[in-house]
Amino acid sequence: MSKHRACRAISHRAVSSHSSFDFRLFCRYCLTSFPSYMPNESHSHPPHGGLQAPPGLTLADDEALAIRLQADAPAMACEHEPIRIPESIQPHGFLVGIDSRDWTVRRVSANLVDHLNVQAEAALGQSAIALFASCAPELATELKNVVLHDLALLQPVTVGDNIYNVTAHRVRDLMVVEFELRDDARSSLDSLYPQIRAAVEDIQAAETPEHLFRIAGMHIRLLTGFDRVLIYRFDAQWNGQVVGEERNDALPSYFDLRFPASDIPAQARELYLLNRIRIIPDADYVPVPIVSDEALRAEPLDMTYCVLRSVSPVHLQYMRNMGTPASMSISILRDGKLWGLVSCHHSTSRRVPTHVRAACDFLVQILAMQIANRDRSADSADRVERQHTHATLLGYMAREQHYVDGLLRHPEPFLGIADAAGAAVVVEGQCAAVGGTPTKAQIADLVQWLGTARSDDELYVTDCLSRDLPMAADWAETASGLLAVSISQIHRSYVLWFRPEVTRTVNWGGNPRKSRDTTGKLSPRVSFDTWKETVRLQSEPWTEPQIDTVLALRNSIISIVMRNAEELADLAGELKRINAELEAFSYSVSHDLRAPFRHIVGYAELLREMPALTNDKQAERYVSTIIESAHTAGKLVDGLLGFSQTGRISLSKRPVQINDLVRDCLRVLEPDMKDRVIEWTIGDLGRAVGDANMFRQVFQNLLSNAIKYSRTREVAKIAVLRETTANEIVFSVSDNGVGFDMRYIDKLFGVFQRLHRMEEFEGTGIGLANVKRIAQRHGGRAWAEGRLGDGATFYFSIPKNSE
Amino acid sequence: MLKKLLLVEDNPKDLELTLVALERSLLANEVVTARDGVEAIDWLFCEGAHAGRDREDPAVVLLDLKLPRMDGLEVLAKIKGDPATRHIPVVMLTASREEADLVRSYDLGVNAFVVKPVDFQDFFKAIRDLGMFWAVLNEPHPGRRPPDVPMKVTEV
Repeated sequence: MSKHRACRAISHRAVSSHSSFDFRLFCRYCLTSFPSYMPNESHSHPPHGGLQAPPGLTLADDEALAIRLQADAPAMACEHEPIRIPESIQPHGFLVGIDSRDWTVRRVSANLVDHLNVQAEAALGQSAIALFASCAPELATELKNVVLHDLALLQPVTVGDNIYNVTAHRVRDLMVVEFELRDDARSSLDSLYPQIRAAVEDIQAAETPEHLFRIAGMHIRLLTGFDRVLIYRFDAQWNGQVVGEERNDALPSYFDLRFPASDIPAQARELYLLNRIRIIPDADYVPVPIVSDEALRAEPLDMTYCVLRSVSPVHLQYMRNMGTPASMSISILRDGKLWGLVSCHHSTSRRVPTHVRAACDFLVQILAMQIANRDRSADSADRVERQHTHATLLGYMAREQHYVDGLLRHPEPFLGIADAAGAAVVVEGQCAAVGGTPTKAQIADLVQWLGTARSDDELYVTDCLSRDLPMAADWAETASGLLAVSISQIHRSYVLWFRPEVTRTVNWGGNPRKSRDTTGKLSPRVSFDTWKETVRLQSEPWTEPQIDTVLALRNSIISIVMRNAEELADLAGELKRINAELEAFSYSVSHDLRAPFRHIVGYAELLREMPALTNDKQAERYVSTIIESAHTAGKLVDGLLGFSQTGRISLSKRPVQINDLVRDCLRVLEPDMKDRVIEWTIGDLGRAVGDANMFRQVFQNLLSNAIKYSRTREVAKIAVLRETTANEIVFSVSDNGVGFDMRYIDKLFGVFQRLHRMEEFEGTGIGLANVKRIAQRHGGRAWAEGRLGDGATFYFSIPKNSE
Repeated sequence: MLKKLLLVEDNPKDLELTLVALERSLLANEVVTARDGVEAIDWLFCEGAHAGRDREDPAVVLLDLKLPRMDGLEVLAKIKGDPATRHIPVVMLTASREEADLVRSYDLGVNAFVVKPVDFQDFFKAIRDLGMFWAVLNEPHPGRRPPDVPMKVTEV
């Protein structure tokens, strides 16, 4: 596995002179040079795009470093991609750069003499055809077919005892031909065919991803003989995780370890997209510089596609630390993006022949296709499953009066549709939640923020809420991740799904904070022991199917809400019509029903005055009864009308002095108190806000009842008091009268409900019903306590804010 | 010459009882009765059947609310809407204390609004008070009509 720290990897670059090689180390970015004997020298330059702190981590000392770096170094070389221009090769072969226009040798690796017995400087400017005339006479013909950037595998070449695999590619006008020494002359791509076929069949037959990764790893290990083969996968932030492993006992297991994104920086990932295979047969190698002719000397060779490309000494140090002198890595590409790597290691140095590497590349491409297929089918299976959950929820919502109940009463699908740990519905400021969520007050704050900062978005999704909303750091335990859809912008209605902080203990492959040693100097990591790092304030990421299904659910909810709104509008219209009808009805009742009673009374009065009746006691009594009955009927109609009006007419609220009101009522009731002894206790009744007329009706009624039902007492005792509780102002009227049986309490406040016979106590049976209705219209209550023969207390309350 | 009273009432029983009440008030004024809103307006404005009548405004109009053809509120609106009749006192006599009617009547400029009591004694008292106030107190004293002379009632 390639491991480069973006900001401090040091590349080496050979500065050639005609006579000797001055071997120096260069920083990959700023090209500051160091003597090769002090590769750990600290120096400074700005952070590169490749340095990416894993989310949630603070790289305190790195940041401090970065600030220092920015202060004292120009940013000039950062846009270079230095890992592509090391200007040296690994020594297990040699390189010749040929001008494709005239076949002259323009560049050559310094070890040419070891292989072809020709001094590097001597070869420059020569005809390549002449150079290869004795060892590879066909080469020139073959080279003519090599096209730009395409790595061509040419016929092996034998020079003396050495056999070389030959590859060639073009960099502009330069044909780069690489000769790679191989140990084993006999095997060829053809001989690998049975193995490749078996591998392809196995890979296609794998059932689970875990199985797939293991099978692929196993076949690559069989082909290459590496001690350990890892399948390494990137997440969205380019952190890596080992998801598959095949190995023997020579090397330790790295399975499931995680590696910070900074381990494979952006420019390395870019290189891996272009050149799928990297190989280092021996980490202890001594790099061989490339010598170029005068014209090309200032311009380093772009070695993106070179198989012999030399790598950073920092990386080599990593490999030595890992105890893996030999490595190979192959890119796994999915949809043109780097999905992961197949990373091979060996406990001793090891070469992998070109044709074996080609077979591995082929297998990895098959693996990549399988991964893509599986991801796609897993994705669609997941979508189908979620769509099913969506339909289930839709059914539940349709069955309830309010869609909110359809969600809240079925937490399993409600949470399951997004694999959330908690969820909440906020409708017009009212919040209801299931599962693990922040408190309602916190959700209110969150919705407030969504409504202002994210008011244009129908969807808000994050796996680190505190990044956008700092105060959410306090709710990380329940709401590190949030998926929110807005139902109505006007009413601030949202459905929210929450995910807790993944205080998952991640097995980091290396501690991202520990890339410098304790002396404060830059140094490669020396330990690959598992380093546990907690990812703070982050949740599991939300997947596309989860997000898409939640959006579909949102649309369903909106259509339900809209349908409900239409139904509600219909209902409101109907209610309006019924109310108007009722009003017309009571209007005509009030007019037309009263008239006949008035006529009966009127004519009966006239009749009573007729001379014929003047002396007839019996006739006089009959007429009086007629008058009295008509009177009663008229009062009933009036009472009923008053009751209906209490429910209909609008309240005109104002502060009312209750003691004044009670005094007025008692004045009206004076006739009823003639010849009575009543002990009054009237407390400080204070002030209350309400409809004065209605309050008058209440006290008139309660006082009149108290006077009426206590008339059997020699000394009646009536108390009118006020009490203020936590939420209410309560007025009470008690008497020591005949009382009532609590069993019939329910009847007391009903219309036309009476507990006494008419002869005992007259009345219409509407008074208390009216009191109750007035209380309700003021947001209060009316109730009573009593005992038969032992007095009664009637209560009338209004909310405290009515003071 | 005492001014007349205009009583507008469609219900014959109410009409009779009201006239009895007025009779007992011992008012000397002549009472003119109209049985619906149109009749009342024609008489007041000397139109239709009363075109050419000598224009003479009544001391008061006792007006029932619910009337055939043109209801009491419309009659009230016409009287109070015309500068020639605006000064004529109008007392609304109605069967109920329906809030909307009350508000509307006062909006239109009614001079009094009386709910006919069920009790005849109360009714009698109410009519007598009305008659006294509008026909008597509201005018220079007309001199009492002797009790044995019947009250003059004319239909419009």
